[in-house]
Amino acid sequence: MTDLDRDLFRRIQDRVAIVGIGHLPFAKDIGRPVSDTAVEAIQLALDDAGLQAEDVDGMCMLEMEATHEVSIARRLGVEGLRWWSKISYGGGASCGTVMHAAAAIASGLASTVVCHRARNRGARTARPWAQEKVLVRDDKALHTPWGLIRPVDVIGMWAHRHMHEYGTRREHFGNVAIAARKHAQRNPHALMRGRPLDMATYLAARPIGYPLHLYDCCLESDGALACVVTSVERARDLRRKPVLVHAVAQASGPNPVHLANYNNTREMVTTSAFCAELLWARSRLKQKDMACAQIYDAFTPLVVMGLEDYGFCKRGEGGPFTEGGRIELGGALPVLTSGGGLSEAYVHGFNLILEGVRQIRGTSSNQVPGCGATLVTGASGVATSALVLRGE
Amino acid sequence: MALHPDYPLPDVDDPVMRPFWEGAREGKLMLQRERATGRVHWPPKPMYWKGGGRLEWFAASGRGHIYSYVVGHEPFLPAFRHLLPLVMVLVQVEEGPRLVGYMVNTTPEAMAFDLPVRVVFERLTERVTLPVWEPAR
Repeated sequence: MTDLDRDLFRRIQDRVAIVGIGHLPFAKDIGRPVSDTAVEAIQLALDDAGLQAEDVDGMCMLEMEATHEVSIARRLGVEGLRWWSKISYGGGASCGTVMHAAAAIASGLASTVVCHRARNRGARTARPWAQEKVLVRDDKALHTPWGLIRPVDVIGMWAHRHMHEYGTRREHFGNVAIAARKHAQRNPHALMRGRPLDMATYLAARPIGYPLHLYDCCLESDGALACVVTSVERARDLRRKPVLVHAVAQASGPNPVHLANYNNTREMVTTSAFCAELLWARSRLKQKDMACAQIYDAFTPLVVMGLEDYGFCKRGEGGPFTEGGRIELGGALPVLTSGGGLSEAYVHGFNLILEGVRQIRGTSSNQVPGCGATLVTGASGVATSALVLRGE
Repeated sequence: MALHPDYPLPDVDDPVMRPFWEGAREGKLMLQRERATGRVHWPPKPMYWKGGGRLEWFAASGRGHIYSYVVGHEPFLPAFRHLLPLVMVLVQVEEGPRLVGYMVNTTPEAMAFDLPVRVVFERLTERVTLPVWEPAR
């Protein structure tokens, strides 16, 4: 990274803050359209911040949202939007919403931006991969005609190769599932609260896309979540302790393909490695400063590989890193302290942003004592994004 | 077995991918390379990329080895249900790229990393033939 890049980035670093969060109860089937749940989630986040709809002038969401910004703005009572954006790549987009909001605020294009994800697809028939129709085009034509459609199989290719190359075992993936499930037991919002998981149960589960089995997969759930982003000056006048956006990054990596992204380099590297390189180059805080990490977990191997990609251990050592309770509360690097997509709710990783905010505020149900900074990441494999959040 | 009405057939008329699908119809695994350097591009580039004269399509050897694989179980797309457990593979072809495919003439138990494989062609419709893989003998 050049000095110029660094200087430009300082306009964002710690200059923008997340000041409000809100979400509806997670559910298997939320039973309401996203045009309705999105508005309520954003209202909750504004209430949390002590802001009014009239204060909002920007909006950022995932491209897979079916609702128009103007519809949400109208229902909320926003007087007029002057900046908005939608980000593609599903779980790769989550942290990107905060990055775009931060850039808009730092550049003066917007002053207060709401980011959200509202999802209503818990019903089995609503899975996007189950709705494939004839004539697949573009990047999808590189994998779908051979049956490689389910995300579990797309990620399974990476996971199986990792097992082969580095000796990573199912037990390592199990450590991730069990850590997330343990954390969920203390989180009143987690869908898997009251349903603990042990290694024997994990190992005995049915295969979905071998080598991945049932408990390697995230939940299928609905939710509506939002956060409010504004300048640090404004944040200091608000109700909550500001959670500073310290570093942000988006990255596709080289020769990117959506989903069947298996030819980016000679070694098959996940997109997170490229995102991490940018993120840490922009961050004064480093891995050792992270009190915990919210690493995107649509599937357990993404966490094992994410620990490597984001530099908490060397390549190939992600499996052993999960041993001995290291990634559980009380360990050296608690991961997925809300239960994550595996055990709280699967909402394309937006819940990981909210949990990152709670950790900095000191209000998590699995609070890491004195948490001064945390990493939040988006999906590996697809074009992705990541955040470093810190306290003032 | 008749093709499932919801089988996700590729758009074989895609301007960039057309030579790949035309080749498959003729029993050839077509890849694209730079004329001068021999560098293979996967996915292929549009022919106007840095001057199409620098790119050419060629018939690959059709040999490679298993770089990774997954075995699909239920719940699965109905169009593939009759193939379950489906062995989906990432084949590193001799020319370099890793291609997505699936295996025929084998079982999940017989699968292994680095297993040598060769291409065979599965005719799905009059217009669509799919390159798939079997263990090389």
